[in-house]
Amino acid sequence: MTLDHGLDPQVREGLEGLLLAMADDEFVIGYWDSEWTGIAPLLEEDVAMSSIAQDEIGHARAFYSLLGELNGRDPDAIAYDRPPDAFRHCRLVDHPRTDWAFTIARRYLYETADAVRLAALADSTFVPLAGLVAKIRREETYHLAHAEGWLRRLAEARPEGRTRLVAALRVLAPDAATVFTPLAGEPDLVAAGILERPSAALADEWRLGLQPLFDELRLPIPGPAADPSTGRTAHGDGFRWLWGEFTAVRNLDPVATW
Amino acid sequence: MPTRRKPHLEPYEVFRQEKDGDPMRHGGSVMAPDPELALHYARELYGRRQESTRLWIVRRADIGVLDDPDWLQPPLDRSFKKPGGYVMREKLDQARARSGQAKRVAGAGRSKGPEGG
Repeated sequence: MTLDHGLDPQVREGLEGLLLAMADDEFVIGYWDSEWTGIAPLLEEDVAMSSIAQDEIGHARAFYSLLGELNGRDPDAIAYDRPPDAFRHCRLVDHPRTDWAFTIARRYLYETADAVRLAALADSTFVPLAGLVAKIRREETYHLAHAEGWLRRLAEARPEGRTRLVAALRVLAPDAATVFTPLAGEPDLVAAGILERPSAALADEWRLGLQPLFDELRLPIPGPAADPSTGRTAHGDGFRWLWGEFTAVRNLDPVATW
Repeated sequence: MPTRRKPHLEPYEVFRQEKDGDPMRHGGSVMAPDPELALHYARELYGRRQESTRLWIVRRADIGVLDDPDWLQPPLDRSFKKPGGYVMREKLDQARARSGQAKRVAGAGRSKGPEGG
């Protein structure tokens, strides 16, 4: 059964693209970060990072469910039954987990970008999305505080922590802004009031927001996306491996009832 | 001659243990001008009748407080973080509906409430 919500077909298509992009971002970063379970730097941090990763997968579940209400598909099927090329997560979250500094650099870049994106959906005219975003934003305040605390800790840990952090930021720089890869139906979404402003404006706001802390810690601020045209379509071998991991159990028996 | 100043009192939280092996539990608080007197006052208020085997006396200002509901009570369904795991009832019902099976009576007794274990 699908809910109509009285949406114009074009707007609806754009909305489905937006929900899929957000769900896939949360899903993929959640799976990468869940790889720290058992091997994080401290036992307490192991619990914290695992819990945060689980939160992100929970957010993905909520977005997939909302998408499922629009297109009539089962949220589990959307999450687990697509080939890797059909995923629409951004390049920023496509990179492998790598080391702890890399995970923290990515988490900080992603959380700050996600906060800007969620704020632009808070007053969405698509009411179910605005309601979900209000709940998710409350949880993301903790995620952002956690990432910021670690970013500062590593930036001030000389020499090794800082060296690794700066190296990670340089690797991620060409892909950091891909969270704001323009969506196919974006003009329709903005016209319908579903998305407050176009992605390009959100990217500028995000970069401006990074400035105070990055300047204070003298860290390099990422520039524009190196290749915006493939920001959500070019996936690397690392992601293909991860996809194999997170679909492994389901693929043992795709028609089983769980 | 220096002028007499009113002592600056501040609150200290007192935790007490009733007997060896018991957990430390919050007992109450005392007002004191410094940590040493806080120790004496805590002893008088929470230990002089041999009702405690150990006291912890902590300056209230040194306690890290976390009471932000966004951090502690986020509004999303988090049942999957509880020991009982995911709330499966809805999914099972859907699966049964798909397969045309009625709910089995034998399994009914094992189903858990929404809070899990």
